Amino acid sequence: MAADTDTLIGGETETEHDRTGNAVVNWMENLSEEAYAYLLLLPAFALLTLIAFYPLISTFIMSLRADQTRGLDPLGGFVGVENYVDILTGNARLARQFLDVSLSGSFPFVELGVPFFQQALFVTLAFAIISVFFETIIGFGQAYVLDQDFRGRRWVRVAIILPWAVPIVIQGMIFFLIFQPEVGFGTNIMQQLGIFSAAPLANSRDAFIIILVADIWKSSAFMALLILAGLQSVDRSLYDVARVAGASPWQRFKMITLPLVLPALLVAMLFRTMDAMRVFGLIESTAGCTTVPSLTCLVVEAMFGGTRIFATAAAVAFATALVIGLIIGVYVLLFRDTEGGPY
Amino acid sequence: MTDGGQTTGTERSGALIDGDDAELDRGPFQQWVADSISSPERVYRAMFYVAAIFFLFTTLFPFYWLLMVALTPEGQLQDILFTPNGFNPGAFVEVFQVIPFHRYMFNSFVIALGSTIVVLVVGSLAGYAFGRLRFRGRTPLMLLVLIISFFPPAAFFIPLNDLFNTQFFFLEPITGDGTLYNTPFAMVTPLSAIFMPLAIFILTTFYSQIPDGLEDAARVEGTTRLGALFRVIIPLSAPGVATAGVLTFIAVYNEFFFSFLMTDGQPQNWAPILEGILAYQGQYEVLYHLMAAASIIGVIPVAILVIVAQEKIVSGLTAGALKE
Repeated sequence: MAADTDTLIGGETETEHDRTGNAVVNWMENLSEEAYAYLLLLPAFALLTLIAFYPLISTFIMSLRADQTRGLDPLGGFVGVENYVDILTGNARLARQFLDVSLSGSFPFVELGVPFFQQALFVTLAFAIISVFFETIIGFGQAYVLDQDFRGRRWVRVAIILPWAVPIVIQGMIFFLIFQPEVGFGTNIMQQLGIFSAAPLANSRDAFIIILVADIWKSSAFMALLILAGLQSVDRSLYDVARVAGASPWQRFKMITLPLVLPALLVAMLFRTMDAMRVFGLIESTAGCTTVPSLTCLVVEAMFGGTRIFATAAAVAFATALVIGLIIGVYVLLFRDTEGGPY
Repeated sequence: MTDGGQTTGTERSGALIDGDDAELDRGPFQQWVADSISSPERVYRAMFYVAAIFFLFTTLFPFYWLLMVALTPEGQLQDILFTPNGFNPGAFVEVFQVIPFHRYMFNSFVIALGSTIVVLVVGSLAGYAFGRLRFRGRTPLMLLVLIISFFPPAAFFIPLNDLFNTQFFFLEPITGDGTLYNTPFAMVTPLSAIFMPLAIFILTTFYSQIPDGLEDAARVEGTTRLGALFRVIIPLSAPGVATAGVLTFIAVYNEFFFSFLMTDGQPQNWAPILEGILAYQGQYEVLYHLMAAASIIGVIPVAILVIVAQEKIVSGLTAGALKE
């Protein structure tokens, strides 16, 4: 390696370049660090632009145009925010009436006649809030169990993570089968307790509870893993100090564990809320979108439900993105002052 | 529970005195209560075992029950709880005979592997830039990447559906009709983009932990910039790359929305496993025991991944979600 001395003294890498003689490599070597960084980011941002930024803007522009059900182009002229007004006032036409209350019991506060967008918004928000609430509590419990030292801990951890890794369609299939009256044990038990009707998967309220349980079953593990990371970063000597000072277990939890785990907990809750706001596959594979209409269900229904109302679908899709953006904003504002909190 | 003045009793347990110091005449329950008061750690231990068994039962029972349903012969599916009504392991063979379930699984593997490769290559470059280089706009660009993972897929879907159904003449030799619909690309492209942010965060964390000295030494030795990245940084952060890969593979394999809408559901048109499982619901008579068997088969690949790579999954989720 005769080149060693050269490179050490000059800080240049001429020899390698001469040997390879590659113009591209040469060009890359001579870029400033900043330009090199942008070059490396280029593929990622090209992909994100094609798949995310461009479609997002395009969806917004589509949502400002009229629905056109005849002819090749499903989009008509520019109509401004009319589609948004229509979905909020219930004037938009969907192929099917969602939340068929004639079929079964419905949610007490969502009756026929409420615009379908509000129905879906209510269903989605209720789903997100309730599922994240229970996932947080159960996740905390699971994280506590995983935080202990015991034999077979590895396998318990595998068991607890496993539902998280199950494909959504199989998660849906499991709960579809459990509450399928001909096969599953779920309907019978719940009926005897007087909670469910005879066909729970066709009943909006019952099916809503089923998808909640299914989501909690699968996603508590995600919460548990993030909370566990928080728990394990807590300095154990703090507990000893608290014990000597005479703090009860509850006080130790409230004064030490909770504040120190809070940042991890908030991030986990934010992630889970975002995921719950996008719920679609679980509904589609258990009860179907007409029984439990979520916001994403509306978009799919508007596009494939018979009439092609693409502009309305785009308006619902973009409105969903806005609602999610609003929730992120609220999270960040509420927890901005949390020490080491999210962002 | 929050009476703050309770300082007696708990202090003694800290000193690790065994519970049987007072030999009084007590019944077994009273004895147990007395022991519990003098050494609360034992109660916590008991509570811990109760909780652990509860969580094990609630997470594993659905799988166990699914297996029982799969093993029960068709027509006897009522009232299965802990034992099957009969024994018919043939269901696990029938799954592949009724529909080409193996083809769906193969498609899913191709799509998940393809996306993982794209994510790792493109994400490595971006993760390296974010983790090790200094440039203007680093934080805003990072936030932009983060925002992507928050948007609902429905907001991307309509234009993408349009794009993938548009005919491009240069694609005709490859896809036949010139569109990307019904090809793996229609799923690999959006899924790569959607799961890339998580991978970028994980890789950024891992790359930034490598000491600068090692890279400097390689550069002084005469390696090119890309050479240093691929010969020094990536091998040193192989655990991070593996973590990002495992998480991406699981995420794509599990995905529903694009996998459901970007093909027509036919196995020869690259429909993934979810269409296979839903197929038992649809055009054939309702074959519940096959649905259960197919679901079990579909879980096996991810179950193996979870067993083999559980540490990576845990570290990846926490690095991706918490470090940035």
